[in-house]
Amino acid sequence: MAKAASKGREPGGGAASGKAAPSHSRNDGLNNPVAPSSVSLSLKHDYTSAPDEALVKWSQGGDTEAFEQLVFRHRDKIYARAMLMMRNEEEALDLSQEAWVKAWQRLHQFQGESSFATWMTRIVINLCLDQIRRQKRIRAESIDQLDEEAGGVERQMPVEHANPTEGLEKDELRKRIDEAMGKLTESHRTVLVLHEFQGLEYKEIAKKVGISIGTVMSRLFYARRRMASLLRGLQRERTEE
Amino acid sequence: MTHTNMKLEQALEIQALVDGQLEAVRKPEVQRLIQEDVAAAALALELSALHTVVRTHESALTVPESREFYWSQIQRRIVAGDAVATRKRDSGTILGWIRWLAPALGVAAMVVVISRALIGPVGGPVASADVLTFRSDIDRVTIHWIN
Repeated sequence: MAKAASKGREPGGGAASGKAAPSHSRNDGLNNPVAPSSVSLSLKHDYTSAPDEALVKWSQGGDTEAFEQLVFRHRDKIYARAMLMMRNEEEALDLSQEAWVKAWQRLHQFQGESSFATWMTRIVINLCLDQIRRQKRIRAESIDQLDEEAGGVERQMPVEHANPTEGLEKDELRKRIDEAMGKLTESHRTVLVLHEFQGLEYKEIAKKVGISIGTVMSRLFYARRRMASLLRGLQRERTEE
Repeated sequence: MTHTNMKLEQALEIQALVDGQLEAVRKPEVQRLIQEDVAAAALALELSALHTVVRTHESALTVPESREFYWSQIQRRIVAGDAVATRKRDSGTILGWIRWLAPALGVAAMVVVISRALIGPVGGPVASADVLTFRSDIDRVTIHWIN
């Protein structure tokens, strides 16, 4: 495995970097054969300032330090996406790490059609969906969920304020959105995350989750109305203060 | 402007319009509804505002582990995965060789058995065997018939 000497590593990152068994061709990541060890010391990569594209290329060549830098850069986003889906820290951590392992194993498939971060979020979302399917959470609907499907209270509520987030501070808003996400049922949250954060169209969501487009639309609608209701609650609290 | 109690179908169409996923043929009617009905207009605005705000305020969670620990766990899984893949590859290679060699070994064994049966034990009393020989100089062929 190619392992170029690091010049610009983040402090404290060195201890963990090591050599995993190579699953990629042996080169320096730029399609050049690896130079003998005495010469390879001159091939210094500045990992911290290198763009994702370069880190991906080096990683595709088996450079674990480049891959570690990619993990370092995007780990929070990948973890946050897993948390959005699973709402469980342990599961989110496990799935986010699994996503990185999958990414390493499939790096040769990454051709750069999308950004590396987008590719990674797709992997973690797919893993989350697999996990949810395994747990049969979506199909084993609770009584509450059935009630929501039939038309929850929020769906029939009149629209009081057109913009339920008006006047809220950014951090407060982010916190409240996160809370509201946690209050949605898994099936509604899944559809909302796939649409809003993954940018998938209705038909793509329907295919991924295995439901009809009509169900996607109604789940999305319910989720949004619920979010609006929760955010409106915060507005009221602020007004009363 | 009027204020009507919208049906769910109408609300979903408004949502589809906001999401840019409404069929082109339905657009004029839904747009007209939004222009003419207060509740429809308010719903469109609310959905649109939520759409924007949710997208731009994704949770800013951070991994609750140090960089080193998080990476070491990933690294361990990568190494374990590679080891499994290598074992599979090795066992696959051996099986592959066996698959290729088995017929050849079978044929070789049969040849040995047949030839030993025909010729007899090496160094044995060949002279005692009943042998008929035919030789054709024209065809340059010699045939031994061993009984």
